[in-house]
Amino acid sequence: MRIEVKNLRHVYSPGTDSAVEALRDVSLSVEGGEILGVVGGTGSGKSTLVVHMNLLLEPTSGEVLIDGMDARAMKKSELRRRVGLVFQFPESALFAPTVEEDVAFGPCRLGLDEEEVRRRVSETLGMLGISHLASRSPHALSGGEKRRVAIAGVLAMGPEAIVLDEPTAGLDPATREELLDVVRGLKNAGMSVVIVSHDLDEIAEVADRVCLMERGEAKAVGAPEDVFYEHPENAPDTVRAALAVGERLPGVGRPVRFAETVEVLERVMGG
Amino acid sequence: MGRGIGQFYPGMSPLHALDPRAKILASVGLVAALFLVGSFHGFLLVAVVVLSLLIVSRVPAAAFLRFLKPVSFIVALTFLFQALFSREGNILFEWGWLSVYEGGVSNGAFLAARILLLVLSAALLTATTPPVALTDGIEDLLSPLKKLRFPSHEVAMMMTIALRFIPTLDEEAQKIMRAQAARGAEFSEGGLIKRVKAIIPILVPLTVGAFCRADELADAMESRGYRGGEGRTRYRELKFRLRDGVALLFVVLVAVGGAVL
Repeated sequence: MRIEVKNLRHVYSPGTDSAVEALRDVSLSVEGGEILGVVGGTGSGKSTLVVHMNLLLEPTSGEVLIDGMDARAMKKSELRRRVGLVFQFPESALFAPTVEEDVAFGPCRLGLDEEEVRRRVSETLGMLGISHLASRSPHALSGGEKRRVAIAGVLAMGPEAIVLDEPTAGLDPATREELLDVVRGLKNAGMSVVIVSHDLDEIAEVADRVCLMERGEAKAVGAPEDVFYEHPENAPDTVRAALAVGERLPGVGRPVRFAETVEVLERVMGG
Repeated sequence: MGRGIGQFYPGMSPLHALDPRAKILASVGLVAALFLVGSFHGFLLVAVVVLSLLIVSRVPAAAFLRFLKPVSFIVALTFLFQALFSREGNILFEWGWLSVYEGGVSNGAFLAARILLLVLSAALLTATTPPVALTDGIEDLLSPLKKLRFPSHEVAMMMTIALRFIPTLDEEAQKIMRAQAARGAEFSEGGLIKRVKAIIPILVPLTVGAFCRADELADAMESRGYRGGEGRTRYRELKFRLRDGVALLFVVLVAVGGAVL
Protein backbone atom coordinates (compact mmCIF):
# COMPACT_ATOMS: atom_id res chain seq x y z
CA MET A 1 0.00 0.00 0.00
CA ARG A 2 1.20 3.47 -0.81
CA ILE A 3 0.84 6.22 1.77
CA GLU A 4 1.48 9.71 0.55
CA VAL A 5 1.31 12.97 2.47
CA LYS A 6 1.14 16.16 0.48
CA ASN A 7 1.90 19.68 1.74
CA LEU A 8 0.93 18.63 5.23
CA ARG A 9 0.62 21.42 7.76
CA HIS A 10 -0.48 21.12 11.35
CA VAL A 11 -1.01 23.86 13.91
CA TYR A 12 -1.69 22.93 17.55
CA SER A 13 -4.31 25.11 19.30
CA PRO A 14 -4.76 27.41 16.31
CA GLY A 15 -6.04 30.91 16.92
CA THR A 16 -4.76 31.11 20.50
CA ASP A 17 -1.59 32.72 21.81
CA SER A 18 -0.18 29.24 22.43
CA ALA A 19 -0.54 28.21 18.77
CA VAL A 20 2.38 26.09 17.56
CA GLU A 21 3.06 25.23 13.96
CA ALA A 22 4.26 21.65 14.41
CA LEU A 23 4.36 20.73 10.72
CA ARG A 24 4.81 22.95 7.70
CA ASP A 25 4.53 21.80 4.15
CA VAL A 26 5.70 18.23 4.61
CA SER A 27 5.46 15.97 1.56
CA LEU A 28 6.66 12.38 1.41
CA SER A 29 5.51 8.89 0.57
CA VAL A 30 6.11 5.27 1.46
CA GLU A 31 5.48 2.26 -0.79
CA GLY A 32 4.53 -1.31 -0.02
CA GLY A 33 7.59 -3.43 0.79
CA GLU A 34 9.56 -0.38 1.83
CA ILE A 35 10.79 0.94 5.17
CA LEU A 36 10.78 4.71 5.59
CA GLY A 37 12.87 5.90 8.51
CA VAL A 38 11.92 9.23 10.09
CA VAL A 39 14.66 10.92 12.11
CA GLY A 40 15.08 14.32 13.74
CA GLY A 41 15.52 15.96 17.12
CA THR A 42 12.90 16.15 19.86
CA GLY A 43 10.18 18.57 18.91
CA SER A 44 11.03 18.36 15.20
CA GLY A 45 7.53 17.10 14.36
CA LYS A 46 8.26 13.40 13.85
CA SER A 47 5.48 12.15 16.09
CA THR A 48 3.01 14.75 14.86
CA LEU A 49 3.77 13.66 11.31
CA VAL A 50 3.15 9.97 11.89
CA VAL A 51 -0.18 10.34 13.72
CA HIS A 52 -1.50 11.95 10.55
CA MET A 53 -0.98 8.75 8.61
CA ASN A 54 -4.22 7.23 9.85
CA LEU A 55 -5.79 10.61 10.59
CA LEU A 56 -5.83 10.23 14.36
CA LEU A 57 -4.78 13.84 14.01
CA GLU A 58 -6.35 15.81 11.17
CA PRO A 59 -4.09 18.11 9.19
CA THR A 60 -4.69 21.86 9.35
CA SER A 61 -4.11 21.82 5.62
CA GLY A 62 -2.70 19.43 3.05
CA GLU A 63 -3.76 15.88 2.44
CA VAL A 64 -3.06 12.23 3.18
CA LEU A 65 -3.49 9.82 0.29
CA ILE A 66 -3.89 6.07 0.70
CA ASP A 67 -3.25 4.34 -2.62
CA GLY A 68 -4.06 7.65 -4.25
CA MET A 69 -7.36 8.05 -2.40
CA ASP A 70 -8.01 10.94 -0.03
CA ALA A 71 -7.90 9.41 3.46
CA ARG A 72 -10.56 11.83 4.69
CA ALA A 73 -13.04 10.24 2.30
CA MET A 74 -12.40 6.80 3.78
CA LYS A 75 -14.27 5.34 6.73
CA LYS A 76 -12.31 5.94 9.94
CA SER A 77 -12.54 2.33 11.08
CA GLU A 78 -11.43 1.09 7.67
CA LEU A 79 -8.52 3.54 7.62
CA ARG A 80 -7.35 2.48 11.09
CA ARG A 81 -7.48 -1.18 10.17
CA ARG A 82 -5.41 -0.65 7.05
CA VAL A 83 -2.84 1.67 8.59
CA GLY A 84 -1.68 0.30 11.97
CA LEU A 85 -0.20 2.83 14.36
CA VAL A 86 2.06 1.96 17.28
CA PHE A 87 2.68 4.90 19.59
CA GLN A 88 5.70 5.67 21.73
CA PHE A 89 5.76 3.43 24.78
CA PRO A 90 2.68 1.56 23.55
CA GLU A 91 2.86 -0.77 26.56
CA SER A 92 1.27 1.98 28.67
CA ALA A 93 -2.06 1.20 26.98
CA LEU A 94 -2.18 -2.51 27.83
CA PHE A 95 -5.32 -3.20 29.80
CA ALA A 96 -6.70 -6.74 29.50
CA PRO A 97 -6.22 -9.46 32.15
CA THR A 98 -4.22 -11.64 29.76
CA VAL A 99 -1.90 -11.05 26.83
CA GLU A 100 -4.22 -13.04 24.58
CA GLU A 101 -7.23 -10.88 25.38
CA ASP A 102 -5.27 -7.69 24.96
CA VAL A 103 -4.03 -8.67 21.51
CA ALA A 104 -7.57 -9.78 20.63
CA PHE A 105 -9.01 -6.32 21.37
CA GLY A 106 -8.32 -4.88 17.92
CA PRO A 107 -9.46 -7.91 15.88
CA CYS A 108 -12.63 -8.14 18.02
CA ARG A 109 -13.39 -4.52 17.25
CA LEU A 110 -13.21 -5.41 13.56
CA GLY A 111 -16.17 -7.70 14.09
CA LEU A 112 -14.34 -10.89 13.09
CA ASP A 113 -15.70 -14.22 14.29
CA GLU A 114 -14.16 -15.86 17.31
CA GLU A 115 -12.20 -18.45 15.40
CA GLU A 116 -10.60 -15.89 13.10
CA VAL A 117 -9.70 -13.71 16.08
CA ARG A 118 -8.05 -16.65 17.82
CA ARG A 119 -6.16 -17.59 14.66
CA ARG A 120 -4.84 -14.06 14.23
CA VAL A 121 -3.86 -13.71 17.87
CA SER A 122 -1.82 -16.91 17.91
CA GLU A 123 -0.28 -16.08 14.55
CA THR A 124 0.84 -12.61 15.67
CA LEU A 125 2.10 -13.83 19.03
CA GLY A 126 4.13 -16.44 17.13
CA MET A 127 5.54 -13.86 14.75
CA LEU A 128 6.79 -11.76 17.68
CA GLY A 129 8.09 -14.79 19.54
CA ILE A 130 5.85 -14.42 22.57
CA SER A 131 3.44 -17.35 22.18
CA HIS A 132 4.52 -18.66 25.58
CA LEU A 133 3.17 -15.50 27.25
CA ALA A 134 -0.40 -15.83 25.91
CA SER A 135 -2.12 -16.49 29.22
CA ARG A 136 0.06 -14.24 31.38
CA SER A 137 -1.02 -10.84 32.66
CA PRO A 138 0.51 -8.11 30.49
CA HIS A 139 1.26 -6.03 33.58
CA ALA A 140 3.55 -8.70 35.03
CA LEU A 141 5.87 -8.90 32.01
CA SER A 142 9.26 -7.30 31.39
CA GLY A 143 9.54 -4.06 29.44
CA GLY A 144 10.59 -5.77 26.22
CA GLU A 145 7.85 -8.37 26.47
CA LYS A 146 5.23 -5.70 27.08
CA ARG A 147 6.43 -3.75 24.08
CA ARG A 148 6.05 -6.81 21.87
CA VAL A 149 2.56 -7.51 23.21
CA ALA A 150 1.54 -3.94 22.41
CA ILE A 151 2.91 -4.18 18.88
CA ALA A 152 1.16 -7.53 18.44
CA GLY A 153 -2.10 -5.82 19.41
CA VAL A 154 -1.83 -3.60 16.34
CA LEU A 155 -0.45 -6.23 13.96
CA ALA A 156 -3.29 -8.62 14.82
CA MET A 157 -5.67 -6.25 13.07
CA GLY A 158 -3.99 -7.22 9.81
CA PRO A 159 -2.87 -3.79 8.63
CA GLU A 160 -1.36 -3.21 5.18
CA ALA A 161 0.93 -0.52 6.51
CA ILE A 162 2.41 -0.03 9.93
CA VAL A 163 3.71 3.12 11.57
CA LEU A 164 6.01 2.61 14.54
CA ASP A 165 6.89 5.60 16.73
CA GLU A 166 10.18 4.85 18.48
CA PRO A 167 9.49 1.13 18.80
CA THR A 168 12.88 0.35 20.34
CA ALA A 169 13.17 3.22 22.84
CA GLY A 170 14.39 1.95 26.19
CA LEU A 171 14.89 -1.67 25.09
CA ASP A 172 17.98 -3.79 25.63
CA PRO A 173 20.18 -4.44 22.55
CA ALA A 174 19.04 -8.07 22.11
CA THR A 175 15.34 -7.21 22.19
CA ARG A 176 16.01 -4.29 19.88
CA GLU A 177 17.64 -6.59 17.31
CA GLU A 178 14.75 -9.04 17.52
CA LEU A 179 12.25 -6.26 17.03
CA LEU A 180 14.13 -4.89 14.04
CA ASP A 181 14.08 -8.40 12.55
CA VAL A 182 10.30 -8.42 12.96
CA VAL A 183 10.15 -5.05 11.19
CA ARG A 184 12.23 -6.40 8.30
CA GLY A 185 9.90 -9.41 8.15
CA LEU A 186 6.88 -7.13 7.80
CA LYS A 187 8.56 -5.29 4.96
CA ASN A 188 9.41 -8.54 3.20
CA ALA A 189 5.77 -9.57 3.53
CA GLY A 190 4.95 -6.49 1.44
CA MET A 191 3.81 -4.08 4.12
CA SER A 192 4.66 -0.39 4.03
CA VAL A 193 6.61 0.43 7.18
CA VAL A 194 7.27 3.83 8.72
CA ILE A 195 9.65 3.81 11.65
CA VAL A 196 10.46 6.84 13.78
CA SER A 197 13.63 6.74 15.83
CA HIS A 198 16.23 8.78 17.63
CA ASP A 199 18.70 6.01 17.00
CA LEU A 200 20.39 6.87 13.71
CA ASP A 201 22.39 3.63 13.70
CA GLU A 202 19.20 1.64 13.84
CA ILE A 203 17.60 3.64 11.02
CA ALA A 204 20.78 3.18 8.96
CA GLU A 205 20.39 -0.59 9.34
CA VAL A 206 16.73 -0.97 8.38
CA ALA A 207 15.56 2.01 6.33
CA ASP A 208 15.24 1.97 2.54
CA ARG A 209 14.54 5.68 2.53
CA VAL A 210 15.00 8.34 5.17
CA CYS A 211 13.15 11.52 6.06
CA LEU A 212 15.03 14.05 8.17
CA MET A 213 12.72 16.35 10.11
CA GLU A 214 13.78 19.70 11.50
CA ARG A 215 11.57 22.33 13.11
CA GLY A 216 8.43 20.92 11.52
CA GLU A 217 9.87 20.65 8.05
CA ALA A 218 11.07 17.68 6.05
CA LYS A 219 14.61 18.91 5.58
CA ALA A 220 15.57 16.00 3.38
CA VAL A 221 13.80 12.92 2.02
CA GLY A 222 15.57 10.24 0.00
CA ALA A 223 17.97 7.33 -0.03
CA PRO A 224 19.83 6.94 3.28
CA GLU A 225 23.25 7.68 1.73
CA ASP A 226 21.95 10.89 0.13
CA VAL A 227 20.30 12.18 3.30
CA PHE A 228 23.06 11.17 5.70
CA TYR A 229 26.04 12.29 3.60
CA GLU A 230 24.41 15.64 2.91
CA HIS A 231 23.55 16.15 6.59
CA PRO A 232 26.49 14.63 8.48
CA GLU A 233 25.38 16.37 11.68
CA ASN A 234 22.42 13.98 11.64
CA ALA A 235 24.27 10.91 10.42
CA PRO A 236 24.95 7.60 12.15
CA ASP A 237 28.43 6.68 13.39
CA THR A 238 29.08 4.55 10.30
CA VAL A 239 28.68 7.59 8.04
CA ARG A 240 30.82 9.77 10.31
CA ALA A 241 33.55 7.15 10.35
CA ALA A 242 33.45 6.83 6.56
CA LEU A 243 33.59 10.63 6.21
CA ALA A 244 36.54 10.90 8.59
CA VAL A 245 38.50 8.18 6.79
CA GLY A 246 37.40 9.46 3.36
CA GLU A 247 39.07 12.81 4.05
CA ARG A 248 42.46 11.12 3.90
CA LEU A 249 41.90 8.02 1.81
CA PRO A 250 40.17 7.89 -1.58
CA GLY A 251 37.59 5.29 -2.60
CA VAL A 252 35.58 5.14 0.62
CA GLY A 253 32.34 5.94 -1.20
CA ARG A 254 29.15 6.35 0.78
CA PRO A 255 28.46 3.28 2.90
CA VAL A 256 25.61 3.47 5.41
CA ARG A 257 24.96 0.05 6.92
CA PHE A 258 27.40 -1.30 9.48
CA ALA A 259 28.48 -4.35 7.46
CA GLU A 260 29.14 -2.42 4.26
CA THR A 261 31.00 0.28 6.16
CA VAL A 262 33.30 -2.28 7.75
CA GLU A 263 33.89 -3.84 4.33
CA VAL A 264 34.69 -0.52 2.65
CA LEU A 265 36.98 0.64 5.44
CA GLU A 266 38.86 -2.64 5.45
CA ARG A 267 39.36 -2.35 1.70
CA VAL A 268 40.64 1.24 1.61
CA MET A 269 42.80 0.79 4.66
CA GLY A 270 44.39 -2.25 3.08
CA GLY A 271 42.73 -4.98 5.12
CA MET B 1 0.05 23.14 31.50
CA GLY B 2 -3.56 22.96 30.44
CA ARG B 3 -5.56 26.07 31.10
CA GLY B 4 -8.70 24.02 31.58
CA ILE B 5 -8.08 22.93 35.14
CA GLY B 6 -5.36 25.22 36.41
CA GLN B 7 -7.62 28.20 37.00
CA PHE B 8 -4.82 30.52 37.99
CA TYR B 9 -4.21 33.56 35.82
CA PRO B 10 -0.72 34.98 36.37
CA GLY B 11 -0.71 38.72 36.92
CA MET B 12 0.74 41.63 38.83
CA SER B 13 -2.42 43.07 40.38
CA PRO B 14 -2.66 44.03 44.07
CA LEU B 15 -4.84 40.94 44.55
CA HIS B 16 -2.12 38.68 43.16
CA ALA B 17 0.34 40.21 45.61
CA LEU B 18 -1.73 39.48 48.72
CA ASP B 19 -0.81 36.70 51.11
CA PRO B 20 -2.75 33.54 50.21
CA ARG B 21 -3.97 33.20 53.80
CA ALA B 22 -5.42 36.70 53.69
CA LYS B 23 -7.11 35.89 50.40
CA ILE B 24 -8.57 32.63 51.67
CA LEU B 25 -9.98 34.33 54.77
CA ALA B 26 -11.20 37.28 52.73
CA SER B 27 -13.11 35.11 50.29
CA VAL B 28 -14.62 33.22 53.21
CA GLY B 29 -15.61 36.65 54.52
CA LEU B 30 -17.19 37.65 51.21
CA VAL B 31 -19.13 34.40 51.03
CA ALA B 32 -20.33 34.94 54.60
CA ALA B 33 -21.31 38.50 53.71
CA LEU B 34 -23.38 37.26 50.79
CA PHE B 35 -25.29 34.97 53.14
CA LEU B 36 -25.68 37.58 55.86
CA VAL B 37 -27.15 40.38 53.77
CA GLY B 38 -30.91 40.61 53.83
CA SER B 39 -31.69 44.03 52.38
CA PHE B 40 -31.34 45.30 48.87
CA HIS B 41 -28.88 48.00 49.90
CA GLY B 42 -26.67 45.57 51.78
CA PHE B 43 -26.66 43.27 48.81
CA LEU B 44 -25.82 46.12 46.49
CA LEU B 45 -22.83 47.05 48.66
CA VAL B 46 -21.39 43.51 48.58
CA ALA B 47 -22.10 43.16 44.86
CA VAL B 48 -20.32 46.41 44.06
CA VAL B 49 -17.34 45.34 46.16
CA VAL B 50 -17.09 41.91 44.46
CA LEU B 51 -17.44 43.42 41.00
CA SER B 52 -14.83 46.08 41.64
CA LEU B 53 -12.46 43.41 42.97
CA LEU B 54 -12.92 41.58 39.66
CA ILE B 55 -11.73 44.71 37.89
CA VAL B 56 -8.85 45.22 40.32
CA SER B 57 -7.66 41.63 39.70
CA ARG B 58 -7.13 42.42 35.99
CA VAL B 59 -8.04 38.85 35.14
CA PRO B 60 -9.72 38.81 31.70
CA ALA B 61 -13.51 38.84 31.88
CA ALA B 62 -13.62 35.79 29.62
CA ALA B 63 -11.89 33.83 32.38
CA PHE B 64 -14.61 34.67 34.88
CA LEU B 65 -17.27 33.78 32.35
CA ARG B 66 -15.66 30.36 32.13
CA PHE B 67 -15.97 30.00 35.90
CA LEU B 68 -19.66 30.87 35.63
CA LYS B 69 -20.44 28.49 32.79
CA PRO B 70 -20.85 25.33 34.90
CA VAL B 71 -23.26 27.04 37.31
CA SER B 72 -25.27 28.92 34.69
CA PHE B 73 -27.76 26.04 34.47
CA ILE B 74 -28.38 26.06 38.23
CA VAL B 75 -28.71 29.82 38.22
CA ALA B 76 -31.25 29.74 35.40
CA LEU B 77 -33.20 26.96 37.09
CA THR B 78 -33.27 28.80 40.42
CA PHE B 79 -34.55 31.94 38.76
CA LEU B 80 -37.25 30.10 36.79
CA PHE B 81 -38.51 28.20 39.82
CA GLN B 82 -38.75 31.35 41.89
CA ALA B 83 -40.34 33.35 39.10
CA LEU B 84 -42.90 30.73 38.16
CA PHE B 85 -43.93 29.20 41.47
CA SER B 86 -43.59 31.94 44.03
CA ARG B 87 -46.81 33.84 44.76
CA GLU B 88 -45.85 37.12 46.37
CA GLY B 89 -46.73 40.70 45.54
CA ASN B 90 -48.65 41.85 42.50
CA ILE B 91 -49.33 39.77 39.45
CA LEU B 92 -47.03 40.83 36.64
CA PHE B 93 -48.77 38.90 33.88
CA GLU B 94 -51.00 35.89 33.41
CA TRP B 95 -50.99 33.41 30.60
CA GLY B 96 -53.45 30.57 30.94
CA TRP B 97 -52.71 28.68 34.18
CA LEU B 98 -49.37 30.43 34.43
CA SER B 99 -49.17 33.57 36.51
CA VAL B 100 -45.99 35.39 37.32
CA TYR B 101 -45.81 37.52 40.47
CA GLU B 102 -43.60 40.50 41.10
CA GLY B 103 -42.19 39.04 44.30
CA GLY B 104 -41.27 35.83 42.50
CA VAL B 105 -39.27 37.62 39.86
CA SER B 106 -37.42 39.81 42.33
CA ASN B 107 -36.73 36.86 44.66
CA GLY B 108 -35.49 34.84 41.70
CA ALA B 109 -33.22 37.59 40.51
CA PHE B 110 -31.89 38.06 44.04
CA LEU B 111 -31.11 34.35 44.47
CA ALA B 112 -29.54 34.05 41.02
CA ALA B 113 -27.36 37.09 41.61
CA ARG B 114 -26.34 35.68 44.99
CA ILE B 115 -25.19 32.38 43.44
CA LEU B 116 -23.30 34.21 40.70
CA LEU B 117 -21.54 36.41 43.25
CA LEU B 118 -20.68 33.40 45.41
CA VAL B 119 -18.99 31.71 42.48
CA LEU B 120 -17.22 34.92 41.51
CA SER B 121 -15.86 35.39 45.03
CA ALA B 122 -14.40 31.89 44.93
CA ALA B 123 -13.13 32.49 41.41
CA LEU B 124 -11.34 35.63 42.59
CA LEU B 125 -9.34 33.49 44.98
CA THR B 126 -8.37 30.72 42.57
CA ALA B 127 -7.74 33.05 39.64
CA THR B 128 -5.29 35.26 41.55
CA THR B 129 -3.55 32.61 43.68
CA PRO B 130 -1.22 29.93 42.28
CA PRO B 131 -2.41 26.46 43.39
CA VAL B 132 0.78 25.87 45.35
CA ALA B 133 0.41 29.12 47.28
CA LEU B 134 -3.19 28.17 47.92
CA THR B 135 -2.25 24.86 49.50
CA ASP B 136 0.55 26.55 51.46
CA GLY B 137 -2.04 28.95 52.79
CA ILE B 138 -4.47 26.18 53.67
CA GLU B 139 -1.71 24.27 55.43
CA ASP B 140 -0.85 27.28 57.48
CA LEU B 141 -4.44 28.07 58.37
CA LEU B 142 -5.02 24.46 59.40
CA SER B 143 -1.82 24.20 61.42
CA PRO B 144 -3.44 25.09 64.77
CA LEU B 145 -5.37 21.82 64.32
CA LYS B 146 -2.06 19.95 64.61
CA LYS B 147 -2.54 20.11 68.35
CA LEU B 148 -5.61 17.93 67.78
CA ARG B 149 -3.42 15.56 65.74
CA PHE B 150 -4.90 16.73 62.48
CA PRO B 151 -2.23 16.05 59.78
CA SER B 152 -2.39 19.52 58.21
CA HIS B 153 0.96 19.25 56.41
CA GLU B 154 0.10 15.87 54.93
CA VAL B 155 -3.32 17.07 53.79
CA ALA B 156 -1.76 20.10 52.12
CA MET B 157 0.94 17.96 50.49
CA MET B 158 -1.73 15.61 49.15
CA MET B 159 -3.63 18.53 47.69
CA THR B 160 -0.48 19.94 46.09
CA ILE B 161 0.40 16.59 44.53
CA ALA B 162 -3.16 16.01 43.34
CA LEU B 163 -3.24 19.43 41.69
CA ARG B 164 0.17 18.90 40.16
CA PHE B 165 -0.83 15.60 38.58
CA ILE B 166 -4.19 16.58 37.08
CA PRO B 167 -2.59 17.81 33.83
CA THR B 168 -0.23 14.82 33.78
CA LEU B 169 -3.09 12.36 34.12
CA ASP B 170 -5.07 14.25 31.54
CA GLU B 171 -2.20 13.99 29.08
CA GLU B 172 -1.78 10.31 29.87
CA ALA B 173 -5.50 9.69 29.30
CA GLN B 174 -5.31 11.42 25.92
CA LYS B 175 -2.38 9.24 24.92
CA ILE B 176 -4.12 6.05 25.94
CA MET B 177 -7.30 7.08 24.17
CA ARG B 178 -5.36 7.64 20.97
CA ALA B 179 -3.59 4.31 21.31
CA GLN B 180 -6.90 2.49 21.77
CA ALA B 181 -8.50 4.47 18.97
CA ALA B 182 -5.72 3.22 16.71
CA ARG B 183 -6.89 -0.28 17.65
CA GLY B 184 -10.43 0.51 16.63
CA ALA B 185 -11.91 1.67 19.94
CA GLU B 186 -14.87 4.07 19.74
CA PHE B 187 -15.67 6.28 22.70
CA SER B 188 -18.63 8.27 21.48
CA GLU B 189 -20.80 5.64 19.86
CA GLY B 190 -23.47 3.25 21.07
CA GLY B 191 -25.68 3.10 24.14
CA LEU B 192 -24.80 3.58 27.78
CA ILE B 193 -23.50 0.04 28.38
CA LYS B 194 -21.36 0.16 25.27
CA ARG B 195 -19.86 3.46 26.31
CA VAL B 196 -19.10 2.31 29.84
CA LYS B 197 -17.43 -0.76 28.37
CA ALA B 198 -15.40 1.44 26.05
CA ILE B 199 -13.97 3.25 29.08
CA ILE B 200 -12.36 0.11 30.55
CA PRO B 201 -9.45 0.05 28.05
CA ILE B 202 -8.66 3.61 29.15
CA LEU B 203 -9.31 3.35 32.87
CA VAL B 204 -7.22 0.23 33.52
CA PRO B 205 -3.96 1.48 32.00
CA LEU B 206 -4.54 4.93 33.49
CA THR B 207 -4.89 3.46 36.98
CA VAL B 208 -1.90 1.16 36.55
CA GLY B 209 0.14 4.15 35.37
CA ALA B 210 -1.01 6.31 38.27
CA PHE B 211 0.08 3.71 40.82
CA CYS B 212 3.49 3.35 39.14
CA ARG B 213 3.86 7.10 39.17
CA ALA B 214 2.88 7.29 42.84
CA ASP B 215 5.60 4.75 43.70
CA GLU B 216 8.19 6.63 41.71
CA LEU B 217 7.21 9.95 43.22
CA ALA B 218 7.41 8.54 46.75
CA ASP B 219 10.89 7.18 46.02
CA ALA B 220 11.99 10.47 44.48
CA MET B 221 10.71 12.42 47.49
CA GLU B 222 12.35 10.11 50.01
CA SER B 223 15.63 10.13 48.13
CA ARG B 224 15.61 13.90 48.47
CA GLY B 225 15.13 13.61 52.19
CA TYR B 226 11.39 14.16 52.57
CA ARG B 227 10.20 13.00 55.98
CA GLY B 228 6.88 14.75 56.34
CA GLY B 229 6.11 18.13 57.84
CA GLU B 230 8.21 17.85 61.02
CA GLY B 231 10.98 20.45 60.98
CA ARG B 232 10.47 21.18 57.31
CA THR B 233 11.33 24.70 56.18
CA ARG B 234 9.88 26.49 53.21
CA TYR B 235 11.33 27.91 50.04
CA ARG B 236 8.49 30.40 49.81
CA GLU B 237 7.92 31.86 53.26
CA LEU B 238 4.45 33.27 53.77
CA LYS B 239 4.57 36.78 55.17
CA PHE B 240 1.49 38.46 56.55
CA ARG B 241 2.06 42.14 55.77
CA LEU B 242 0.20 45.29 56.64
CA ARG B 243 -1.65 45.28 53.31
CA ASP B 244 -2.97 41.78 54.06
CA GLY B 245 -4.35 43.00 57.36
CA VAL B 246 -5.91 46.01 55.66
CA ALA B 247 -7.51 43.79 53.00
CA LEU B 248 -9.00 41.52 55.67
CA LEU B 249 -10.29 44.45 57.69
CA PHE B 250 -11.88 45.87 54.55
CA VAL B 251 -13.74 42.62 53.86
CA VAL B 252 -14.91 42.38 57.47
CA LEU B 253 -16.24 45.94 57.26
CA VAL B 254 -18.03 45.11 54.01
CA ALA B 255 -19.60 42.03 55.59
CA VAL B 256 -20.73 43.93 58.67
CA GLY B 257 -21.92 46.82 56.56
CA GLY B 258 -23.85 44.51 54.28
CA ALA B 259 -25.52 42.82 57.23
CA VAL B 260 -26.45 46.10 58.94
CA LEU B 261 -27.76 47.94 55.88
